[in-house]
Amino acid sequence: MSGAEDAFLAGTARPRNDDPVLLPGLTLGSLTDRIAALALRERAFFWWWVAVLPCASLTLVLFGSIIWLFYKGIGIWGVDWPVDWGFAIIEYVWWIAIASGGTFISALFFLMRVDWRTSTNRIAESMTLFAAACAGLFPILHLGRPWLFYWLFPYPNTMGYWPQWRSPLLWDFWAILTYVSASLLFWYLGLIPDMATLRDRAPRRGKQVLYGVMAMGFRGTSRQWRHWHATYGVLAAIMAALVCSVHSIVGLDFAGGATIGWHATQFPPLFIFGAFLSGFAMVIILLIPLRRLLRLEPMITGRHLDVLCRLLAVSSLALTYSYMMDAFTSWYGADAAERTMFAARATGMYWYAYWATIVFNVSLPQLMWFRRLRMNQIVVLLICTGVIIGMWFERYEIVVTSLHRTHLPSAWGNFHGTYWDLATLVGSVGFFFFGMLMIVRFIPVISMSEMRSLVQRQNS
Amino acid sequence: MSASRQWRSLAELENDPAFIEHAIQEFPSLREALAAPQKRRRVLRLLAAALATGGLAGCYAGEPGGHLIPAVRNPPNIIPGLPNRYATAHVLGGHALGTVVTHQMGRPIKVEGNPYHPSSLGATDPYAQAEVLGFYDPDRAMLISNNGTAASRQALLAALVSAQGVIAATSGAGFRILTGATSSPTTERLMARILAAYPEARWHVWEPVNRDNAMRGTALAYGKPMDVVARLDAADIILGLDSDLLGGAPGWVRYARDFASRRNPTRTKTMSRIYAAEPSPTLLGSIADHRFVAGPAEMAAAVTALAGAVLHGTSTEAPRWVGPVAADLKAHHGRAFIHAGPGQPAETHALVAAMNEALGGRGATYDVIDPLLAPAASLDALIADMQAGHVSTLLMIDTNPVFTALGTHDFAAALRAVKFSVALAKAPDETAALATWTVPMAHDWETWGDARGHDGTATIMQPMALPLYDGMSAAEIITRFIGETPGTDLATVQDTWRDQFGTSFDTAWRQALVDGVVAGTASTPSDVALSGSAGAITPPAPPAGLRLLFRPDPRLHDGRYANNPWLQELPEPLTKLTWDNPLLISPDLARRIKLRAGDKVNLRTSAGAITMAVWVQPGQAPDVMLAWVGNGRHVTGAVGTDIGWDVYPLTGGDGSATIEKAKGSVELASTDHHNLLDYGTATVDTIVRHASLDEFAKNPRFAKEAPTPELYWRKPPGPVAWAMSVDLNSCIGCNACVIACQAENNVPTVGKEEVLREREMHWLRIDRYYEGTPEAPDSFFQPMLCMHCEKAPCELVCPVGATVHDSEGLNVMVYNRCVGTRFCSNNCPYKVRRFNFFDFAGEDNRPAVSWNPDVSVRARGVMEKCSYCLQRISEARITADKENRRVHPQEVVTACQAACPTQAFTFGDVAQPASDVAKRKASPLDYALLEDQHTHPRTTYEALVRNPNPAIKEALG
Repeated sequence: MSGAEDAFLAGTARPRNDDPVLLPGLTLGSLTDRIAALALRERAFFWWWVAVLPCASLTLVLFGSIIWLFYKGIGIWGVDWPVDWGFAIIEYVWWIAIASGGTFISALFFLMRVDWRTSTNRIAESMTLFAAACAGLFPILHLGRPWLFYWLFPYPNTMGYWPQWRSPLLWDFWAILTYVSASLLFWYLGLIPDMATLRDRAPRRGKQVLYGVMAMGFRGTSRQWRHWHATYGVLAAIMAALVCSVHSIVGLDFAGGATIGWHATQFPPLFIFGAFLSGFAMVIILLIPLRRLLRLEPMITGRHLDVLCRLLAVSSLALTYSYMMDAFTSWYGADAAERTMFAARATGMYWYAYWATIVFNVSLPQLMWFRRLRMNQIVVLLICTGVIIGMWFERYEIVVTSLHRTHLPSAWGNFHGTYWDLATLVGSVGFFFFGMLMIVRFIPVISMSEMRSLVQRQNS
Repeated sequence: MSASRQWRSLAELENDPAFIEHAIQEFPSLREALAAPQKRRRVLRLLAAALATGGLAGCYAGEPGGHLIPAVRNPPNIIPGLPNRYATAHVLGGHALGTVVTHQMGRPIKVEGNPYHPSSLGATDPYAQAEVLGFYDPDRAMLISNNGTAASRQALLAALVSAQGVIAATSGAGFRILTGATSSPTTERLMARILAAYPEARWHVWEPVNRDNAMRGTALAYGKPMDVVARLDAADIILGLDSDLLGGAPGWVRYARDFASRRNPTRTKTMSRIYAAEPSPTLLGSIADHRFVAGPAEMAAAVTALAGAVLHGTSTEAPRWVGPVAADLKAHHGRAFIHAGPGQPAETHALVAAMNEALGGRGATYDVIDPLLAPAASLDALIADMQAGHVSTLLMIDTNPVFTALGTHDFAAALRAVKFSVALAKAPDETAALATWTVPMAHDWETWGDARGHDGTATIMQPMALPLYDGMSAAEIITRFIGETPGTDLATVQDTWRDQFGTSFDTAWRQALVDGVVAGTASTPSDVALSGSAGAITPPAPPAGLRLLFRPDPRLHDGRYANNPWLQELPEPLTKLTWDNPLLISPDLARRIKLRAGDKVNLRTSAGAITMAVWVQPGQAPDVMLAWVGNGRHVTGAVGTDIGWDVYPLTGGDGSATIEKAKGSVELASTDHHNLLDYGTATVDTIVRHASLDEFAKNPRFAKEAPTPELYWRKPPGPVAWAMSVDLNSCIGCNACVIACQAENNVPTVGKEEVLREREMHWLRIDRYYEGTPEAPDSFFQPMLCMHCEKAPCELVCPVGATVHDSEGLNVMVYNRCVGTRFCSNNCPYKVRRFNFFDFAGEDNRPAVSWNPDVSVRARGVMEKCSYCLQRISEARITADKENRRVHPQEVVTACQAACPTQAFTFGDVAQPASDVAKRKASPLDYALLEDQHTHPRTTYEALVRNPNPAIKEALG
């Protein structure tokens, strides 16, 4: 790296809110060089190894817990009677919400031709991919007989068996299946031109073949570019709709039940708001360290931080509205059991979950109103981590406290997660970051093809 | 032995040289044993062992010897898939409850009540229901042992012969027999013979859960001990003083039926009124119209005051409720009945007898009969003799005094001093562990016997199966002590009845077996007169201060059922506790010494001291502590050892006790996970709908709700509509239905840890609610099982259609289709679904043959719930199909319905207007629980009506 470039970077290390979306000084060539070099490095960064080891261990913890779960049964978790759903559902909703936020950035803002989206979409999409992978795991783990999960699939069989289409869980099965496969396609499609670039630049035969296969014969002809642009646009349009459908249906998993605390028409939008909030938070959590560690400051600027923080604040406000409506309908609905449950939720033995939700998801993001705080990377990281924790507690509160006070007091009960519950949770976090680290190592973290068009537009 | 070899009997194998040769290779000692032909049993044992390990040597390719004939004919009377039913009785504390045992392919799998038996009338108690598991208990005694080492039967018989020689030579001096209480004519006959043979010998009886106080009380009143048989159907007013009339008293199953016949105002002309005064809640008190909390001191005062008012017409101030109660009793002359529990002193029992006589109920609301239990000397006398060294030979039959003797006695030390002691025991226990010889006892289902019900009616008990283990019967060991070679138990029992049955013995015997009762054996009411001085007795005033009372464990009786997991896991009716027996303390005492449920305390009486946990019992008198004896077994099977606390060491004192908080606490597994009295904004009123008789008279339809509009409603099709009605006026919370359901439907037990984690599996639970203050709450029972909603929320949310509706309105579970999403349980407003979080059924400590073959055993990860006993419906459906007719409305009886002593459950085809269930659903009291959820449940309830006395409210202010 030249001395001039170092000086250039030193000046950009601190984000400022009046930063442009792309710092001046980048050319088409230097941009591609910088990003491709990250993926084609012969040796990984030292910090990468430091990060990968704990994440890999946690991934092993996850798969160890899964093996024990399959061997021993769902009883190793804290789920009980009447709280029949527990950590598995909480984490499923938590991860799928994080995933949805990523799609929101990459697809919806693509359609809106927002320029700041360009340098963040690869990270957001990869985040979606691995969050959705984590999310997709949990509904299967959740089952009492996970080896029979494929019975949700309508296939011809000799058992005379057919799925039951009125169940929200079946809608959910389809929503997830569609969403995960579409996310993968979308991510991969966006990757194809970059794979071609890496193929052309790879120093060694192995990598050339690997990236060559992944590039699927993309040679950069105008015809290919035209098709690519059209397909990408169509997929983005589908994804933008899917991000809403998948999380609405997750909301319907709850709202579709006659269970108190769940049976509310506002659940689909409430869940979407939550998805946006946690998605933005997770993108920021990934962007800030990567920006620094991979020296991406010219491409991920104060402008990105600023706009994401503002979006975080907006989605927090939308969620606040939903929380208020939740409390209001519990009271206004005049159902005694609903009120008892809500009182127990706010003041009972799980009060901390409710108030953690409020503090982390409602109060904390309000700090984003302050420009100086938005530009303080440590503060922003802390707030976003708080939001991710708060969103977990929101699901805990929705799943557990709704179930623990049902219509008949004789069936009231409590829920306590076990160490296996925790191991699975922590393991899934490790698995997610492990996946992200693999992306950082082998895949361009910023879409080179889209960035080039941005640079070109800016330079012209 | 190769897998292809077949054999018909051990004897055949024994004579098969190829097999013998092979067996000798496996077990070299077999050659010696074969050389000594007198040791035939030993040979058979070794052969059996060789058989058992035969599979290991599967490659053995010997020539098959002899002729092999496969079983081409079934054993007589057994049709695969169809049940056989045989009458017998369940005996507890000497009293018989007539039962009918259902067999499948020759193996007993379910107990029902015997409708011909006056103590049962077709119903059972939880103990009788749980006997299936007791019979198949893998921990039952199966080895003869001598001082702790296994011994042969020959050695035992030799020892018995030499012991008998000594006894005969000394005409029984130093020979004592200790048994539990018995009403068996055969046992009595044998005892009379042995005592006649050895004039110096003595027979002692020890029953830890006894009614000695009542016996002494009637002795005071009538001049000799008498039994009282109540007729609650004729009683308008019932007063229970610390009474176990509905749960414990001999004949309580029958009493519960009689009680219930007068409790539903839509079916009885005059509703009875129940008063209960008690130091700690009983089942009678829990369902009483008025329940008065009375500690021992207040109880003594109340009994004196009541006797004064009833016998002498004196008026009294304290306690304030006595005046109106006495007036009510007197106003119903000839239709009132007072019952005192076994915990009350003899003087109280005497006064109660005098009051009952004065109230004119004799012959109407109760009868007095001669005592049913055979008279014998006491345990105290035996221990005194043992300590004095007068006892050289002690035969103990089915009794466990080392565990159950009063804490003031040291039976174990006395037993060690006895030179030759024999314990005939059904299961390993503390006494057998210390006896010189331990002999496994034949289970009641493995031998012949007889016993009498609460009114004296005799039952001849026939064996239900070939002995599982090599047990010896009581009759056999007694006969051996007499010095005779025992005949079969059948012959012994037949000898008892030969005189009575007279010339037509065979017919009468057969009839007795078929009916399960011996006709005409009920005791005739005695005409013994009340002694003049009975009314002048005053109960002793107990000292002030904390009192410790003892009651039998509501689940384990005196401890004999401790190894029965169904009973261990049965939620106690009021506390809903399983697996434990903490000390029950009053809310007041809990406040005073700052105790919470589960906290440990040091409890001390003059007899001993232990550290145990407490449980706060609403409605318990402030200065009363109640301990359940029976749990805390030290020596028994794998299930019951070291569960709970042994409180027998505290018994035998004067009742005073001290308590202090100890360090630490334990988690107690109650299935009632909520705060006792705080139901949030939910009120008991909406769940267990209830009113007073006056309110009912004003508005009989008080329980009905105005229907609310709903969007979508489609009535299930089908000409048959199974439905159930549960009468809350009848339910006494006794738990018989819970165990009956567990037995019928292969419901697994989960163990204390899993109950603590809220994973109990009972398909039918009895919800208990409180209303009022913790000091004196009203309590309510509500059996809760699958409602079979016509619009079932569970069905909608299952993605794989594992729970669906059938054309007859049943909400059925397809276990094999269930993948375990558990959404159905979340969506069930009644929370009646249970989930197999682990392989609970696989881990159950019971042999495979004990499961009901008509019901699937559920796998891990599968949801399950009440099916309205679908297998019984199916059976009726098949029978009806074969006869080309419709299923009769009353043809199907569910397990809970059959077991219920009070007939609280009615089940049938509601589409047939003539059915009982249709009639009950037409009752103005009928209501659907959580009607506003629009689930249209097929199970509905009849609202509870209580019959309070307005004068009480005035008196209490």
